[in-house]
Amino acid sequence: MPVIEIKQLVKKFGKLTALNGVDLTLDQGEVHAYLGPNGAGKTTTIRVLLGILRATSGSVSIFDRDAWKNSVELHKRLAFVPGEVNLWGNLTGGEVIDLMLALRKTGTSHTERREMFLERFELDPTMKCRAYSKGNRQKVALVAALASDAELYILDEPTSGLDPLMEKVFQDTILDLKKEGKSVLLSSHILSEVEALADKISIIKEGKIIQTGTRAEISQVAAGRTLEELFLSEYQGR
Amino acid sequence: MSSLAAFWQYTRFILVRERIVGLIWIVALAGSAILFAAMYPGLFSSDAEMQAMAQTMNTPAMVALMGPVYGLDTLNTAIIMAQECLIWFAIAIIIMNIFFVNRYTRADEELGRLEMFRALPVGRLTGVAATMIGALVLNLVIALITVCGLIALNLPGTTVAGAFAYGLAIGAIGFFFAALTLLIAQLLSSSRGVLGVSFALFGLFYVIRAWGDMQNSDLSYASPLGLISRVFAFYENNFWLLAILLGATLVITAVAFVVYVKRDLGEGVIPARPGRKHASRFLQSPFGLAWRLTRNTVFAWAVAAFVMGAVYGSVVGQLDSFLNQNEMIKQIVEGFGENKSLLGSYIAMLFSILAAVGAIPVVNAAMRIYAEEKRGRIEQVYAAAVPRLSLFASFMVIALVQSLIFLTLTVLGIYAAGESTGQLVLADLFKDAFVYLPALFLTLGVAVLLIGLAPRLSLLVWVVPVYSFLYDYFGRLFNLPDWVRNTSPFGVVPQLSLEDFTVVPLVVLTAVGIVFCAVGLAAYRRRDLR
Ligand SMILES: Nc1ncnc2c1ncn2[C@@H]1O[C@H](COP(=O)(O)OP(=O)(O)OP(=O)(O)O)[C@@H](O)[C@H]1O
Ligand SMILES: [Mg+2]
Repeated sequence: MPVIEIKQLVKKFGKLTALNGVDLTLDQGEVHAYLGPNGAGKTTTIRVLLGILRATSGSVSIFDRDAWKNSVELHKRLAFVPGEVNLWGNLTGGEVIDLMLALRKTGTSHTERREMFLERFELDPTMKCRAYSKGNRQKVALVAALASDAELYILDEPTSGLDPLMEKVFQDTILDLKKEGKSVLLSSHILSEVEALADKISIIKEGKIIQTGTRAEISQVAAGRTLEELFLSEYQGR
Repeated sequence: MSSLAAFWQYTRFILVRERIVGLIWIVALAGSAILFAAMYPGLFSSDAEMQAMAQTMNTPAMVALMGPVYGLDTLNTAIIMAQECLIWFAIAIIIMNIFFVNRYTRADEELGRLEMFRALPVGRLTGVAATMIGALVLNLVIALITVCGLIALNLPGTTVAGAFAYGLAIGAIGFFFAALTLLIAQLLSSSRGVLGVSFALFGLFYVIRAWGDMQNSDLSYASPLGLISRVFAFYENNFWLLAILLGATLVITAVAFVVYVKRDLGEGVIPARPGRKHASRFLQSPFGLAWRLTRNTVFAWAVAAFVMGAVYGSVVGQLDSFLNQNEMIKQIVEGFGENKSLLGSYIAMLFSILAAVGAIPVVNAAMRIYAEEKRGRIEQVYAAAVPRLSLFASFMVIALVQSLIFLTLTVLGIYAAGESTGQLVLADLFKDAFVYLPALFLTLGVAVLLIGLAPRLSLLVWVVPVYSFLYDYFGRLFNLPDWVRNTSPFGVVPQLSLEDFTVVPLVVLTAVGIVFCAVGLAAYRRRDLR
């Protein structure tokens, strides 16, 4: 049973077709990198997955259940880092993390993981969110997501704004999650991150998946080129 | 560059940076000080009317609001003008000074501008000293233009000394708050904190003055606002009070300078207080979040509602003389109930207008959910296991709470200020006010409907209270026919101080409100979020 199964997903905003028949499958225990140029439709796909947007047509399911109809139930089993982190300026980082963990209503205690990730990411939870730098705001969202013991992690450009040291901490964390058998959908522009973490890769361009496969399969397609060269040529449509 | 030359250059730099905003403040403040004064001669056609006005001002609520009444023995237009206007211009100039000083001290420091500047070979005090000179210039210009304007206007009772007392009182209170903000900017390390504490002190001084003035006690002298409200311009012209205020200003400035020189750049004397490490239990729910985001507004509106009620209530005792002063208001009030009791008409008008004002906090609370959506903060909430309806319903509950608080506190304000006349019955006032609850609920329904169906058009909800407000003003003034009144949800509400209770309109308003809420919520559940 796939963890995420998207079939022929179409999403239109008025006249604009943002997603034009997207297929994507994520299996249990897999880190699936989701790549594509700016405006290709990665965030839109994720927002449909989360029931923030309604699919125009096609089917989207998580854990074999319709992602729109069962969104509240499904969200108890997944954690999410938004592509654009906007926090409440007058709440502290610690308050936001607790709030997001509590709203997931899993009923389990997160105290230990919370403290562990605060320490790993060197984040001061007592600052008001308006006072955080961009990277630290990103860390608030990351800690809130990673501290929860979910089965599926949906991460939209989770490391934007992080310094190289923190990028390393993030990669180690994802590798740990993989060992625990968790599934991860990782939208990213950072190719080194993708190379280090991904089992599978899907590339979307102009609302359509143009390439998908395991890393080995993708390497075959690359035929001697580096992954970077492959992506560049795919993005440019050559 | 000598450090004195650098100092003047920096002062010039501040004034140049301030040329637009500063000029707007100068024109707005000095201009309206003169304009307001110019309107006074037209207000009274006889000395008796003037005395009546002074009596209206002499009620506890009005004294608490605007300061003590003085010079009743030699009452003239200039005295009345100064007594009624001084506090408003004081408030405005205080706001200007707090923002001005914060902008050039802590805010600049936070943004790292001051660091750049301090790297230049200039004296250590240059930045803060230039800021105070800039503030002095602004305040003095406003004060002197006001003085000149008043002398030129030459209202009955004007003296040169009086004009100076009035104008300099405004300038002095402004400069005092410039110094106070300067000191706070040395103590705290965030510009938001500086603004917060400065305004809190301003509020505290205002309350001390209000309390002291109401009790007629010397407590008022402990507040700078109390000092200027006892200058008694055009009467006693107590310049010595202004001298005391200036002395205090200089002492505070000196202390601020010393602290500034001794501390590290970027730091405050009081270290930034770390915030909460954990969320309280209460915050960890959709309603807790909604409440946390709106609670300050709820408290602010509660205070505002009480003050508004008190201002209107303080007139109850002198309705006749109050209405005779102003032909237009009289016509509006009488438009509510011809040949009915004046008090009944007045109360009907009051709640009709206040109910429309009460729609503001109600609509704001409901619209907050859309504001959160626009700022991109709602996605993460719904990505957790939060049903859409539960967050929206939380904001709707807060909107309803706002309506209850608003109506209750306006009633209490009116009663507190007008109770001494013996003409008000608390239970009746509550009934007069709470019949408007269904109209407020309907307004909430319109907001919910728009947020669900057409969020981009949601600002249209303001049409409902604005229409009602306009009808109250112009409908009564021009005696429009009754059916016009029934086109406004606020208009169909029976005005219990004049009319019998009828339940039908209230049921209809509530029912339509429920339908709107249901449709709006259903649409919200199904639509895309931004
Ligand atoms: N609410 C919306 N209304 C209209 N158009 C939208 C909306 N959201 C996204 N789009 C459009 O859909 C397309 C896909 O956007 P999306 O945000 O999914 O791209 P992305 O792959 O996440 O890009 P990036 O790498 O820059 O994050 C873009 O053309 C975008 O302008
Ligand atoms: Mg994106």
